Amino acid sequence: MDPLRAQQLAAELEVDMMADMYNRMTQACHRKCVPPHYKDAELSKGESVCLDRCVAKYLEVHERMGKKLTELSLQDEELLKRMQQGTGTT
Amino acid sequence: MEPGAEHQQQLRSLRDFLLVYNRMTELCFRHCVCNLNYRLLTGREETCLDACAGKLVRSNHRLMSAYVALMPSIMQRRVADYETSVAQGSAQEGPAAPAALPGAGAHGAPLDLPAAPGPDGPLQGAPGAGTSHG
Repeated sequence: MDPLRAQQLAAELEVDMMADMYNRMTQACHRKCVPPHYKDAELSKGESVCLDRCVAKYLEVHERMGKKLTELSLQDEELLKRMQQGTGTT
Repeated sequence: MEPGAEHQQQLRSLRDFLLVYNRMTELCFRHCVCNLNYRLLTGREETCLDACAGKLVRSNHRLMSAYVALMPSIMQRRVADYETSVAQGSAQEGPAAPAALPGAGAHGAPLDLPAAPGPDGPLQGAPGAGTSHG
């Protein structure tokens, strides 16, 4: 596979994952903010405001999780390097 | 490994990592974020999210280690069972051509599962990701 094609696939993958994230966010916020009563088709003010805040929070959580994942992965990599160096010197 | 196959493997790892990332976000958000009176995260929510992230990553590592430890013996058993059934079948039918071993993918398990611990898998596609240490 040439690098350009690999890059293209990686970009498509990222788009897919963003779409997946969006779907999960929609589901989660709907569950939190819109109680399943359905008396009225219109969104109430409370529900609208809740959804706005929910999206803002979800995106912040997403960013936070990303940083945490990277941090923990780097810690693992450090640990692995140290272990490998330790076995190398003995 | 050929560069093409390596790219495929890297893409697969990246895909796994991103899926885990999305699932983590959803799970931790659902559990930790209860107060939608504010736009920003509260201190309590932040603490909960940090704990949730750490716990999920570590449990993922542990699951991976356990899977890698157990899967080879299960696959070996499956292969042995299949070979036995093929041998029995060909003994009954006579000198018929034995069927080729079907891909383990028919049973839903990946063929390229490495026997040794420390495969590329979820969370390995992260930039500078390490392997599980159990």
